[in-house]
Amino acid sequence: MLAEDFNLPKQTHDIFSIMARGNFISSNGSRDGMNRLYDIINSPENFDRLQAYFNVIRYNIERGNNYFYFSKLSEPNSELEKKLERFERYIDIIDLLASMDNKITIGSRFRPTEIAEECNANVRLKQKLQKIPLYRSETLHNKVREICDLMSRDSYLELEDEKTESYKVLDSYNYLLDVINSIAIYEDTTGGSDDAQGLIYN
Amino acid sequence: MALQVNINDIISQLYQNRSAIEFLFANRENITVNELLSRGDLSSDQYQKLKSLDLIYEYENIVSLNDAVVSMFEDFMEIGEVTPGFINDYLNELHRHIKFYQEVRELRFLRSIKKYLKRINSTITREIIKLQKNVDDTYKNESNYRIKLQKLEDYRLKRDTIIDFIKRTGEVVEEARSLFNLTNDTELYGIIQSLKGSLIENLDFLIEIQTDITDFINKIQFQLDVYKKAQKLKEIKDHGALHFKTNFNEIVSSVNTLRYNGHKTPRTKIAVDFLFTDDGHVLCKRVAEKYKLTRLMVRGLADKMAGNFKDKGLEQQIKLDTQKLVDRFLAQNKTNLFEYLMDYKFPKSIGTITFEERLSLFVEIAMEYQTILDFKYRLQYYDYQDNEQKKKRLGYTLILPMKEKEKKEVKEEA
Repeated sequence: MLAEDFNLPKQTHDIFSIMARGNFISSNGSRDGMNRLYDIINSPENFDRLQAYFNVIRYNIERGNNYFYFSKLSEPNSELEKKLERFERYIDIIDLLASMDNKITIGSRFRPTEIAEECNANVRLKQKLQKIPLYRSETLHNKVREICDLMSRDSYLELEDEKTESYKVLDSYNYLLDVINSIAIYEDTTGGSDDAQGLIYN
Repeated sequence: MALQVNINDIISQLYQNRSAIEFLFANRENITVNELLSRGDLSSDQYQKLKSLDLIYEYENIVSLNDAVVSMFEDFMEIGEVTPGFINDYLNELHRHIKFYQEVRELRFLRSIKKYLKRINSTITREIIKLQKNVDDTYKNESNYRIKLQKLEDYRLKRDTIIDFIKRTGEVVEEARSLFNLTNDTELYGIIQSLKGSLIENLDFLIEIQTDITDFINKIQFQLDVYKKAQKLKEIKDHGALHFKTNFNEIVSSVNTLRYNGHKTPRTKIAVDFLFTDDGHVLCKRVAEKYKLTRLMVRGLADKMAGNFKDKGLEQQIKLDTQKLVDRFLAQNKTNLFEYLMDYKFPKSIGTITFEERLSLFVEIAMEYQTILDFKYRLQYYDYQDNEQKKKRLGYTLILPMKEKEKKEVKEEA
């Protein structure tokens, strides 16, 4: 079967080169025309064609809330140790982000200096940040930078402006949150410490 | 105090200085007198004239258009600020005017009613468009989640207010229906019809906005919930119980993104045979350019093949056979070369060989293999029919296979 038989959109190569590196394509990403690529995958007929095409090499396009990524059909369950380590680190990171006053959500923009500044002013945050195992980072600012760098390499963040070092949170961040949300805790260890943030809406 | 003015005066003044007015309308704030005059399209006389007509004001050297003019433009172009309060005012006015109804002054009564009905219609629509835009903007661009939630809540309230207005408008129109029927005015009827239509439409829009807001709030709420969960998990992790008190291992091992499974970008190896083709060469060249490898750049592309290379291929095939053909011819001694070729049964794969082709083959063999052929320098004749079925006769040299003895002599001479 030839590539022409699939009647693919002409951006297939770009799509593949992003997703095959394990990156996400988010609807609100702007680098390399990512939002345009998202729209292309999102159109139903393109999606089916691309899916069929990539299935040949045993890659599967997975659809999330406003993002796409590749998974491998019949993958060998390798590298579990590394995976666990990575997500343990993400728990640390998300925990830090969750404890900030100015919580980041999808679409928000921030600069590492802002986070470093807040951590510097708050002992609890400072401790959290210092305890996150990262290499070769001494100052708080560099640590935050490294976290941002790590997250943009995993394509959860996007470095929007290099001069001001401003990052934007992409839709793929939802994936990370989804993974964390799906972890079940067997028994409640923190009885009733919930501060009532739950709002009831119709 | 303003002079006694008439409409004609105002319009002609506005028209005469239209570029300056346009400029002032577009830049409603902070235009100084000097800035305005230095633009060159307004002389100081004209400026004084405009001022005397009260079309523009000057206050502490800052120029601004008369508010009445500004709001006229805004109303006309439907760009001005609107707030739900406007709708409220219009509704109250409508109520008031309906109460004042007197048959004697029907015309005047109807005019203001129509005015307010139209205004309600356009204001509600604009208000809804604005609301939709604000909700969207807030969700996408507001970075502080608390403000975001608060703003979305406010929009929800605003939406409720507008729904209330829509209901009230409907009620008023319903109550006054008998009254309106009494007037028997077709224009009023049309206005009410379009108002009713757009009220229903707007209600639909509002429902959609409501779902948007709810959706957005839920998303934010979800993120906050996840944050809380992350904090909990972190606490468990700090107690060293992450792998035992949660199903962390299971979840993470079911993560199926490429990135977390150590998949590298797939590399396909290219077949060596392919690299020897022209396409492969182009590929090599590109790689060479990218990595600056001179080694790969040496080999060049073959020239373009001639368009008739397929025909040539056929000739070549026959030519390739000539050596064998000559060998076979030499092996016999019954016929001469010409007759041999004419009668020779070529393999079917070559296709039919025409008389002309056999002839050229004869000439070719005669020229190429003259050293091993015995030329008798005697003419013989061959009768044949050409394409037009005419009888023709062809004279040819008699060529026979060389005898063994002669062959040796030739070799020695050479």
